[in-house]
Formats: sequence, C-alpha cells, structure tokens
Amino acid sequence: MTGLGVNVSRVDGPAKIRGWAQYTADVELPGMVYAKVLRSTYPHAKLVRVDASRAEKLTGVVAVLTRDDLKGMNAYFGPVVKDQPVVAIDRVRYVGEVIAAVAAEGRDIAEEALDLIDVEYEALPAVFDPVEAMKPEAPALYTERVKAQSFPAKSGFRLESTGNVLSTYHVEEGDVAVGFRESDEIFEDVYTSQKIQHGHIEPHAAVAYWEPSGKLVIYTSTQTPSSIRAQLAELFELPQSKVRVVVPFVGGGYGAKTHPRLEPLVSVLARKAHRPVQWALTREEVFLTAHCQAAVVKLKTGVKRDGTIVARQVEAIYDAGAYALTSTNTARNGGEVAGGPYRIGHQHLTSYCVYTNTPPTGPYRGFGVPQVCWAYESQMDDIARRLGIDPLELRLKNLVHEGDVFVTGDKLVSVGISECVKRAAEAVGWERDKEQGFRELSGKVRGKGLAVMIKTTMTPSNSSALVRLNADGSAVLLTSSVEIGQGTQTSLAQIVAEELGIAVERVSVTFPDTDVTPFDQSTSSSRTIFTMGGAARQAAHQIRQQLLEIGSRVLEADVEDLELVDGFLEVKGVPEKRRSITQLFQARFGAAVGNMVGSYDNQTTGGLDPRTGKGKGSAFFFLSACAAEVEVDTETGKVAVQQVVSAVDAGKAVNPRQCHLQNEGSMIMSLGSALFEEMVFDNGQPINSTFLEYMPPSMEDHPKVFRSLLVETPHPEGPYGAKGVGEAGLGPVEPAIGNAVANALGGIRFRDLPLRPDRVLTAIGSARGKEK
Amino acid sequence: MRRFEILEPKSIQEACGILAEKEDVKLIAGGTALLILIKQGIFLPKTLVNLKKIKGGSEITYSPADGLRVGGLASIYDIESTPVVRQHYPLLAQACHVVANIRIRNMATIGGNLAHADYQSDPPAALVALGASVELTNRNRVRKVKLADFLIGSYETSLEPDELLTALLVPPPSPDTRCTYIKFTTRSSEDRPCAGVAALVRYSNSICEEARVVVGAVSPAPVVVADQDRVNGIKLTSDLIREIAQEAGELVDPIDDLRGTVDYKRQLVKVLVRRALTGCVAEAAA
Amino acid sequence: MKIEIRTAINGRELEASVKPNQTLLEFLRDDLHLRGSVEGCGVGVCGSCTVLIEGRPVSSCLMLATNIEGKQVTTIEGLAVGDQLDPVQQAFLDNQAFQCGYCTPGMIMTTKALLNSNPRPTEDEARDYLSGNICRCGTYAEVLAAVKSLSGKTPPPPRS
Repeated sequence: MTGLGVNVSRVDGPAKIRGWAQYTADVELPGMVYAKVLRSTYPHAKLVRVDASRAEKLTGVVAVLTRDDLKGMNAYFGPVVKDQPVVAIDRVRYVGEVIAAVAAEGRDIAEEALDLIDVEYEALPAVFDPVEAMKPEAPALYTERVKAQSFPAKSGFRLESTGNVLSTYHVEEGDVAVGFRESDEIFEDVYTSQKIQHGHIEPHAAVAYWEPSGKLVIYTSTQTPSSIRAQLAELFELPQSKVRVVVPFVGGGYGAKTHPRLEPLVSVLARKAHRPVQWALTREEVFLTAHCQAAVVKLKTGVKRDGTIVARQVEAIYDAGAYALTSTNTARNGGEVAGGPYRIGHQHLTSYCVYTNTPPTGPYRGFGVPQVCWAYESQMDDIARRLGIDPLELRLKNLVHEGDVFVTGDKLVSVGISECVKRAAEAVGWERDKEQGFRELSGKVRGKGLAVMIKTTMTPSNSSALVRLNADGSAVLLTSSVEIGQGTQTSLAQIVAEELGIAVERVSVTFPDTDVTPFDQSTSSSRTIFTMGGAARQAAHQIRQQLLEIGSRVLEADVEDLELVDGFLEVKGVPEKRRSITQLFQARFGAAVGNMVGSYDNQTTGGLDPRTGKGKGSAFFFLSACAAEVEVDTETGKVAVQQVVSAVDAGKAVNPRQCHLQNEGSMIMSLGSALFEEMVFDNGQPINSTFLEYMPPSMEDHPKVFRSLLVETPHPEGPYGAKGVGEAGLGPVEPAIGNAVANALGGIRFRDLPLRPDRVLTAIGSARGKEK
Repeated sequence: MRRFEILEPKSIQEACGILAEKEDVKLIAGGTALLILIKQGIFLPKTLVNLKKIKGGSEITYSPADGLRVGGLASIYDIESTPVVRQHYPLLAQACHVVANIRIRNMATIGGNLAHADYQSDPPAALVALGASVELTNRNRVRKVKLADFLIGSYETSLEPDELLTALLVPPPSPDTRCTYIKFTTRSSEDRPCAGVAALVRYSNSICEEARVVVGAVSPAPVVVADQDRVNGIKLTSDLIREIAQEAGELVDPIDDLRGTVDYKRQLVKVLVRRALTGCVAEAAA
Repeated sequence: MKIEIRTAINGRELEASVKPNQTLLEFLRDDLHLRGSVEGCGVGVCGSCTVLIEGRPVSSCLMLATNIEGKQVTTIEGLAVGDQLDPVQQAFLDNQAFQCGYCTPGMIMTTKALLNSNPRPTEDEARDYLSGNICRCGTYAEVLAAVKSLSGKTPPPPRS
C-alpha cells in the first residue's frame, strides 16, 4: 500500500491560496437578481396580515414572495416531518422566521423594499425553555401534529402525537432500580449545554433558476445535495431528474448546512421572478437559520465503592427550536450513547426532542453527543473524587472493550478507547492521584482533566461512487460528497489511486452535481471516508478487476500473479513482463479510446427499532479521549487553557495530517463553547447575533500546546480499516476542560456551560465562604 | 445596506459649512461603527458627510512645551505607531494597540472613536488618565473641552450638531512616570473590554507625587477612581493600593451586559486596579 | 448618485463609478469580479474580506468604495505573478494552513502585511497581529508555522 497513510498535498490548495476557489456566492449568472427577506419580530404570533403591494412598486424590484404565492402548491418541507413552510403562512414561531422575500436588481433595493411590506401580528404566548415546553400547560407551537413525515422506520425515535415534545428515544439494559439498590453510592445531577453557533465563516447561500424546460437548477452551499434534490423535487412535484443541485466549495458547514434551508424559498422566488436569484445570508441571518441544540441532561449513576459503575439513568432534553429538521435524530443520537463508553449492566436512557419558540437548529459537530458527554464525564470525575479513585483508573476500570455488546445491541469492533485515554493522559503529564488533591484558592491555580467519548455515525446510510478510468491511465471519481474543508477531494483520490495503482495526481474528484454524480446521503456524521471511501474503493476495485482480466489474457498469467503498480500492470516478481494501462485499453478496444467504469452503491445497514431503541446503532463507533490543563485566575474567574491533547481512534489514517487538522479544528471549536460562546435571548429576541457579540475563538485563544494523537485499531468494514475522524475529537473537550477546572479549584464543579468568569468567580467566592 | 447620498468635503472648513447649513446629515470618518449601524437598519441616514476625502486633519505633532496634538482624522494605528506617542505617551500607545484588530485600527479614527462614545472602548480611559482635551470646531469658532467632561455617557457626548472633533490634545507628560493599561476580556481574547484600567504613577524617593487611575468600559463614561488628591505626597504602599482598589469598586457604576454582571464587574475593578497600581510601583522601583 | 473615482487595483490603474452606499468589498466582487475577498461577518471581525490599502490591512466590508480614491489597493488576486506564487501563499500550501479556504485569502493578506511591517516576528508578535483573523476550521497552528517558515525571508517592500 503506497498512497495511504501519506500526507498528500490537498488538491484544493492551489485554488484556495490564490482566492480562486469558487463558493456559492461567487456564482454569477446572466440576469441574476438578489434576494432579501423580511423576518418576524415576534417569537410566536398569528400572521394576521401581510401586504407587499407597496414593495412590488419600488423601481428595481423584480418579484415579491408572500404566503399568497404558496396557494396551490406544496408549501411545507422538512427531512423528517414537513413542518416548515416556504414562508410563514398562518403563524410565526420564532423571531427571525421568514415572512416575505424580495428579489431586486440590487441588494440595497431589495432591503428598501422590505421596509415597504406591512405585517400585522397577533401575539401568542411563547415558550423558550425546553423543560418548560414539555409541560402540558406550555404554549403549543403546533395545534396539530404535522401529518407528512418521511423518515426511515428504524431511526430509533418515536414521534409523539401531541404537545411540544416532537420525539422520544428510549433504550434500556437490565433494571436500573435493581442497579441503584445494589450501588454503594448514588450520584444525581443536572447538566446543561447552551445554544451555540456552528460558526462556519461562509454564510449560507444559494442561487436558483428555472430552465425554460421546467427544470430547476440550484447552486447551494450545502452538505446534503441528494437530500436537497429529493426534497425540492417533492416540493415542486417534479421528477428528481428535473432538479439539479450543484455544490461548489463550501466554506465550512459543521452540520449547519444540512437539508433544505434556503433552497425552497429561493427556488419559488426564482420561479416567480423568471430570473436567476441569489440569496446570500448575512451573518445575523445565519444565527436565525441554524444553531446547535441546547440541552438539559439529568444524570443518575450508581457505583460500587471500588469504582464499578452499576447503573446509569439519563434523561436528555434537547431544544429543537421551532422546526424539526433533524433534531429528532440529534436527540436520538445523544440518547443512545448517553451512558458513555462504559460497561454498565443497568442502563435506562431517554432523550426528548422538544419544540420551543427559538430558531431552527442544525446538527452540530458531534450530533447531540457533546451535550451528554459533558454530563457523564463531568460526573465521572465527581465520582472519582468522592470514592478517592484516580480519574484515569476509574475510567480504565469501566471502559468498553473489543467485542463488548453496547446498550443498543451493537457488538463493538475497533475499540481503541483505553489506548486513547492512556496516551492522552501520558501526553498531558498526568500524575496518578495528584490531580484531585487539595488546592488553595488563591492566585493562579492549575489543574488537569480527562474525558472520553463514544459516538455513533449515521446508520443506515448510502453513498454511491462512480469511477471512470481514461485510456491514458488517469481517472475521475464522480461523487456527491462535498468538500467542506475536511479534504475529502484529496483523501478519496488517495483511496482510488491506491486501488488502481496509479499516482494520486492522476485522480480527479468531481464537485457534487446531481445531474452527474451519484447519490450521497450526506457529508456529515464524519461518514465520508468510511461510506463514500468504501464506495470509491469498491468502484475502483471493479476497474481493477477488469484490468487484471485483460492483463491475464495479454500477459498469459494468472490474475493472482498480477499487480498494478504506478500505472502499469506487472507480473509479480517479473517487472519486464508488463503493460501500461493505455496498452490494456488498446488490447480491449483496439485503440486508446473508451472508458472503463466501476460503480458501487455502499449501503450500510442497521438502524434502531423505535420500540426497543436497539438494533445496529452504528456502522462504526467513534472513540476518543481528551486531556486538558488549565490555569484559573482565582481573582477574576478567568480560565486559560494551557494545553490540550486529543487522542482519537481513526481506524486507519488515510491522510494523517488531515486527521490531525480535524482534531485541531474540533478542539478549538469546543474550547469556545466550553469557555465563552453562547447565544443569548431575551424573551425570544436574540441579542447577540453578530460576530461582535458572539466571537469564535481566535488565534490568541488557541492553547500554546496542542497535540493530536491517532490511535489505529482498523475497522474491518472501513476502506483499508479507516473510520471517520471529523467529529471524533470534539465531544470530550468540554468535560476535559471542566474537569481540569474542577481539579484546579479543589473540586468545585460547574454543571452549566459556558465556564464564564463571573460564574467561576461566584463559585470560588462561595467555596471560600464555606471554608471560613 | 440601504441607499443614501454622500457629500465629500475637501477641507475641515467645508465640512463645518455643511454641518452649519444642512440638517439630517451624519458625519462618517472610519465608518467602523457607523456602517454597522446602517447595515443593521438601526440608523438610516439620508445623507452622509464623508470626512475621509479631507486633506490633512490627521497630523500628529508633539512639543515638550505644548504636548501632543492628534488630528481628529488620525487612525488608531497612526497613534499607536507614531514614535512620539510611543516615547512620551506609552499609556496611550498601549491602550490604542489593544483596540479590536489591526484592520479596524487602520480604519477607525480617534475623532470617530471619541465622538461615538461607545463605553466598551479602550482609548478613552487612557486619555482621561492623561488629562486629555478635545478640540471642537464649527464654522464660527474653535473650543476646547476636557475629555472627562466631553464624554457624558454611553453614546453621549457634548458635541454640538454643527461641530467636528478636529483634534485630541494631551498635555506634556511628566518625567519619570510609570504607566500601565490593562484590558480585561471575559470571552474571546479579541472581544471588547469587560473592563479597562489605565494607571499612571509618578513615584519618586518613595513619595507618590502623582497618581491617576481611570476605569473604562465598565460605566457609561470613564471613571477616575484615584487622583492627585488621593495620593499626593503619600507613600504608595500595598495597603494603600488595596484601599484604593476597594474604593474603586464602589466608585464605578457598572453596566450589566454580555461581558459581565454588575457584581462581577465591581469585583473585577477592585482586582484590576490593584494589579495596575502594583505593576506601576514595581516598575518604578526597578 | 454615482461617484467617480480613480484608483489602482493590484497595480492596475482604473477609473470607476461607485455608489455612495457601496462597500469596497462589493465593488471588488460585483464590479471587478475579484471574488477572492469574501464576506464572513460584515462587521470587521472575521477578516475574510481583508485587502491592503497602501500596504495596510483593512476590512473591505466596512470601507466605502469611494474611499479608495487615489489609493493603491492590493487583493489576494494581486499577490501571485503569473505562475509565481507569493512566498506567503507558498508557505500556506507547504504548511497546510487552510481547510475550507474561506478565511484563507484574508489570512494570507494579513500575514503579508505582518511580514512587510515586521519581517522577523516572534510567535507572540505573530499571534498578536493575526489574532484578528478568525478561522473556524481551526488552522491557527499551521498559519503560525507558515509565518515562522517565512521569518527573516521577507524583503522589505519597495518605498513608494
């Protein structure tokens, strides 16, 4: 194996460093006009009147879209339940919901036109907290449950029929009542995670136009082109062949750009305008379009005095915002691993997905897992402290091992978690039984903390790949996987090159274009290298077989004695007996013409039965550990992260440098939500929706020391053993920092994120008060 | 952003003429604050008066007798990087250096910064500590106002509608002064200050001859928490520093915002004032 | 209302008509089709729109287009000369200092300005200067490595 494990230079590098990389807002089409939208100023209200007649008359306005234009067509969309209207129809459910849209010759004209649209609201009671929203007396966002639903039966969750709880997931093992009775100590706490922004620097954007034949073409910054195509086709009652979705480079997604968001509206507007329409969001609008679900996690754990975890009961409540999107899946995803990567005989895990009058969410890197990981890993250290057991020892004692059966019923393979946490602890300079000692709360104090995580990937799922070999021995991989920055165009090329025995530079990978590239479920869930990589490998393998067969005839050798090396087919051990790929084409076609094609639909199987919560939860599991060291200024409450170590089980690192870069990205992102990021609302009004008031971490916030370690326990079903890495490093970062802070402060535990200086200082003050 | 008209005077005089004659016009210098308000639709001017086409108005001059004069159109970066400022007013250079990022510092003008009077800003506290004044010009006359009096509150100054802030004036510095500026952030290190403390100490033969401590970004306007009267002629011991710091916490009137609660800011001020003064004294002793 | 301006973009002099409410970023992208500079936040924080005016980095999303009158503007497109990459661009490639690439042109322009003003920055000085360019993909360590590799190698810019 040659191309794998090599830090091949990114193929998209040359374009990106010149500023030539095309993103969606760069797309310019003849006659293109610009869209701006009018957004609700109420968190929950009936839409009494929407009058856009004055806006239509403004010079330069080409089309205006209101609910009146949705009559006679499907008006609702959504990947799980079709609860989201193209524009608000009878009511608005969050501040920022789109009520009307204008397409105009200039963005400034479009904005001015919005000022001319009259809206009359009738305020309704609203609810902003998911725990409150679950109560029967809470204001209901939906008077009746949306009928139109489409999601695989084995998605694990059950849709509820009434109320603000949209869906529930539940799984059990053993009997927690028995387990708690058998426990020596019980720990019961509530942990919260805040609403945060994904923070992709490229805002959402889409450009749509209709061909005269009635075909819809849309360029969009999305992670899910095939899903967009399917949902737009359904919305407009078109065959999928009459909807074309094209995806250029995407400037970061992290889950915020999954499933239709801008696409339905911009497509309807383009149809009315009879012109291509570009809709690019401002940053403020991104805050209103996608964010990470806040969560409240109630965690009860029973342990033996020797540290064995006997029973764990979790109730995780996820705030879905006003529209479902895939929050149902997020909640299930967190719920199924809410017990953590531990052998626990009695488990009772429940998660809820709850509507509130806040903006829609998007799966955020980690897909519901960081919220539960924050809870179970924070509590783990409290357990260690009370029992007097070293936190590393406590984890090693309880972690899952290869072959264990997980609570979902999955048999675990490729389980490098113990090695991850040991190596992370070693790298951070962990000293056994030292971290949880006494600390004097004065001046600046230091502490180290550990955390581990288990996470699933979207299962079942489907990725198709098509490889075309040209007569000159170069190849093209046709794929709908999106280059969102993770280097997929490069790593997939490496896999195809490896399989065909050609140089990586001779493989090019397409951008998604649903007219041309085959189906992909989603570029998310860190699934691309595993599922699309697997498809690409199989597709290339088919071509490999074709080449070997031709070669065996031409060289009069057995297929088993042949190999593909550097663009040549050779007899093993007899390098003089060889043919170039071009010669093989000539042997097959009579001339250097034609293609050899390989195509593979990689369908991973599984899913969870909603009645039991069990089945096959994941095609592969993410396992990772994090170790952090912090310094806390006890006079100001400010936490400074000194060093972070991320240890991730990658299965097999196709491009090690890329894996490390993903870990670094996971780390700095999570550091932000651990220490200071949070979306703030005042009675449903977002009050910090700009980067001035919500800043992602900067270079100065990056710890001086960061190390990324890759553990490789090859996965039998991954291409060359590879598993996903994109999200793996993120989950344990928040609790590692939280545990480091707790250890620095002699055991002061914070259960709510972020670890704001004022919260820390108040807690230190209380602790000092208690000491006296 | 929505459309507007623009007038582009070529001189301060011409700009003053426009202000005197026209109503409903708004001055724009660096634009780093105003354009955001326009983009957000919070402020919808019909006509902007663009000061960036004025030749001059940004000179920085210094003389030992008169001190520093900074043209209102000088950028924050101009100020922080000019040798006479770095040498004679390091406190000002420090406070300017921590403003936002290099791009904003290149664009934002000191006149704009002071006239906009955003309370979450660094230069004002340092300038009040240095005893600065501003020069305000209209068509008929030029007047000087102490900066401490000019800055009334959050987004509130004593600038008249027909006036331009044409210069910042800083008195000659005293010799043997030690100073420090602390910008404290509670979120990203790129954030605006939760609190800023400017401290100046002239400490000679164990006698504190002069000390000024000004707290910025906490209250609607910078607050002088320690002055001549408080410390003149007294040895600046660590006990006295602690006392001054405690008082400082009571003298400020903190605004509750995303960067900190009222109580937190009060606590923080006590700590930062103590650290700022201690730092100056240590520097003087060395 | 239109304003006539004369400016130089990437060394090329030109005359243009701009609208009062047009930002420099809009002018570069919409009128000149120079789309390497991009909008990330619109409030001068993320730095993705960074261009150099007379060699100094600015947020083009917060600058009115009219204010480039008589000024030299350098955008990302103006760094490479034909096939010859600017050393900063080459260093970003060599050190893999990008992921999604959206913040990259702005990061490169600010790095260029850093090295022009301080050819041998310490790590602290580099962090301080570059910290105003936000990367959500998290390539900060690689950008610093690229800067380190260029330290001492940047010739001072020609005096104008």
